[in-house]
Amino acid sequence: MGKKWLPQWDTKWMLILTAVASLVVFVVLPMLYLVYKSFIINGTLDIHHYQTVYSKVVNWNALSNTLKISLYSTILAVVISFPLAWLIGRTDLPWKGFFRTLFVATYMIPPYVGAIAWIQLLNPRVGYVNKFLVENLHLAEAPFNIYSMTGMVWCLTLFYAPFAFITISRAMEKMDPTLEEASRVSGASPLRTLWNVTIPLMYPSILAGGILVFIGVASAFGTPSIVGMPANIEVLTTRIVTYIYMGDTKGIQEATALAVSLMLAANGLLYLSMFGLGKKEYVTIGGKSTRPNLVELGKWKWPAFSIVMGYGAISVFLPIGSVLVTSLIKSMSRPVTWDNLTLATWKAALENTQYTEPLMNSFILAIAAATIATIIGIFIAYLLMKTKAKGRKIPDALATLGGATPGIVIALALIITFSGNFGLNLYSTMTILVVGYIVKYLTMSVRTISASLSQVHPSLEEAALNSGASWLQSLRDIMWPLIRPSVVAGWFLVFMPSFYELTMSIILYGSQTKTIGVLLYELQTYADPQDASVLAVIILLIVLVGNLALRKVSRGQIGI
Amino acid sequence: MADVKITSVTKKFGDVFAVNNFNALIKDGEFVSILGPSGCGKTTMLRMIAGFERATEGEIAIGDQIVSKSDAGIFVPPEKRHIGMVFQSYAVWPHMNVFDNVAYPLKIQKVPADKLKERTEQALDLVHLAEYAARFPNQLSGGQQQRVALARALVAEPGLLLLDEPLSNLDAKLRESMRFEIKELQKKLGITVVYVTHDQAEAMAMSDRIIVMHKGVIQQVDEPIRVYEHPANPIVADFIGLVNFLEGEAAAGQIQFKALGCGIPANVSFEGPARVAVRPEHIRISKTDGYLRGKLVNKFYLGDSTDCRVLVGDTELRVIDRGAAFAEYSDGEDVFLSFGHVMAFPK
Repeated sequence: MGKKWLPQWDTKWMLILTAVASLVVFVVLPMLYLVYKSFIINGTLDIHHYQTVYSKVVNWNALSNTLKISLYSTILAVVISFPLAWLIGRTDLPWKGFFRTLFVATYMIPPYVGAIAWIQLLNPRVGYVNKFLVENLHLAEAPFNIYSMTGMVWCLTLFYAPFAFITISRAMEKMDPTLEEASRVSGASPLRTLWNVTIPLMYPSILAGGILVFIGVASAFGTPSIVGMPANIEVLTTRIVTYIYMGDTKGIQEATALAVSLMLAANGLLYLSMFGLGKKEYVTIGGKSTRPNLVELGKWKWPAFSIVMGYGAISVFLPIGSVLVTSLIKSMSRPVTWDNLTLATWKAALENTQYTEPLMNSFILAIAAATIATIIGIFIAYLLMKTKAKGRKIPDALATLGGATPGIVIALALIITFSGNFGLNLYSTMTILVVGYIVKYLTMSVRTISASLSQVHPSLEEAALNSGASWLQSLRDIMWPLIRPSVVAGWFLVFMPSFYELTMSIILYGSQTKTIGVLLYELQTYADPQDASVLAVIILLIVLVGNLALRKVSRGQIGI
Repeated sequence: MADVKITSVTKKFGDVFAVNNFNALIKDGEFVSILGPSGCGKTTMLRMIAGFERATEGEIAIGDQIVSKSDAGIFVPPEKRHIGMVFQSYAVWPHMNVFDNVAYPLKIQKVPADKLKERTEQALDLVHLAEYAARFPNQLSGGQQQRVALARALVAEPGLLLLDEPLSNLDAKLRESMRFEIKELQKKLGITVVYVTHDQAEAMAMSDRIIVMHKGVIQQVDEPIRVYEHPANPIVADFIGLVNFLEGEAAAGQIQFKALGCGIPANVSFEGPARVAVRPEHIRISKTDGYLRGKLVNKFYLGDSTDCRVLVGDTELRVIDRGAAFAEYSDGEDVFLSFGHVMAFPK
């Protein structure tokens, strides 16, 4: 026995160590190096870069814009999401299942696609909505201008609100319904119960969801750039990209200082939400699973339904409809009628190698990133859930750190670290894009896989080892069949965002490695809305198919 | 104080009858348990009394208030029924301390601050939690949390207290002491209690009357001793306590067991095929005399008793002996059995 034991132990730990080592090289090293480069000049501690950066009004404006936009979007997103989550989770609102799927699925629409759509709708000159209102209400000028601070907050809120909706909905589903019932028998009306019990109990999740929105909005590049730049509204992320695009050392240095500021803000907030609030997470003892007692809306049922439906139409159907119509329209200056629709734009786009190549690239990159992230994720999740090793939580924390770090910061860190400095020159390669995606989305696969590993009782594996199986055999015969659905789900959860990733790609791509996100961004900036719409629809279709596949493999357990 | 009148109440989930034609009159100050296996509809019935489920048919009245009458469209929401309720999961609010949890019903009633403080403290005293007022639920044990829930249910002095398996999350020892505590409280306050449980010992120990439910239908409503010794049907006999079932034939003053090749004298009110239930502790084992002759298969020492399996013909009977059977008998020995109390049901 003793002899057989040792080699098994070795395979297991060598594989785990390899996974952890890759994290250290690709997450820890670049981040530390980024911070190091921002503070150390010629070998001594020097805050000169920060002084330079923050002596410029334009950067201060960018910082204050980032804070303002993030704050407004966060508040709006929470104010919208809480009632939605409550109506869908706790009342007899009609079509609840449909609405849940709808609002959760919005999470999967790339926000910049939403921005492109809203520009088509609310562009002051040719926006569909503006034109419609001007013509029908005989207005002198367009009522809306998307190219504004309000426009940015509008787009960002609609497409980052799902973060808050998902967090709050989950907490609401997990909450013991008898806590609310106890309040009802105590004499409190449904509204009073909502105010005294439900909202206070949801408070940690509301805050956690809000922080996710805040970080998401503050880290976003696509929307602020597409919507804000034409109005000369700059935020931190767009400043960083501008500095990097300068291409010289000075530009990179100032980008570094801004990026570290953004990273500290985002990760600091996340740290706060995890450790400051984590302790306040209310654990309730589960009784038998009573069906939650649904609040009867009574005469408010249909008004509430109309409002939720209206929000769904505005936040999801209108923008999707807009890109779809734009991709099919013959002449943008003529009204939308059947005669004015054509597949010509689609045909031309699909035959254009300038479009198909980035599409292929994104496929290859996303498949590579998803596969590698899944393999690393299995071992990190195993280390976390199934071993007692000291520090087993650290790799998981590193994956979370990667996920919480703004994409732009990761991209910049990878560029300055792997441009030959550590014997590794990945500049402009496919590899550096794959690494970026893995760093950002690894946490998706780790989280999904460890959730299902935690359901596998340790005795199942012990019984396999006891029956004479090696560790790898037990992994293959026992663990793998049990966790397979979540592994596949984790794969899709990395594949989809990697496929349409923009923020990192815009910095990391080279002439041979352009991605579909970058292409779409260029088309939008160079004002080719029709081709941009074709690509946007393609992205939406792939996301839809991916999401359906995800639901199928996880039997509806994981779907986003 | 309040009585509860439940008339022809039926609850359907889709096509399934969760509760079917439930009738009961629970008297003022009475302690009534609804007992049955999980899924028998007992919790659904309690939740209909509380107002968390709407009855499909029938009428429920608490005191002189009709709280639910489906054909008249009357449905009073839970907050207007003036009842106290304790849940299996305690449902103590984690974001409020013990005092605020207990004071909540009074706060809703807008009781003035000084009165509120006094009554809340009284309620806490009642459940021996006076010194825990400032603690938060996560600093309390399960038993203490359950007492908080109890104090909260009682603080507004409701006429009716509903308890939904309140002890099933507690450990065995605590469960037993809580039984007596709840019973004492009920006696002291004279409050009407409807208590839902699947634990027969709990129901026996505390109730004035037990309502036995099975698959949504009431099987028997009776005092604990009647339910145990004179079950209304084989279902009740089987659910409450241990029981041996035998097939027999009833005729004037006796029951014949064909399979065992013998008969016993019995006071039966019917004639014909019978299902006979005998509790293991009602069978006497002896070396010398009895109606039945059998072979001791095996025996287990349980401390206060000996659990024996005896083969009579090809029927195995379970016998519980409170005496010294374990020491006196050996496996495989021939023994005689005689029945004390038997329960016979016509087939």
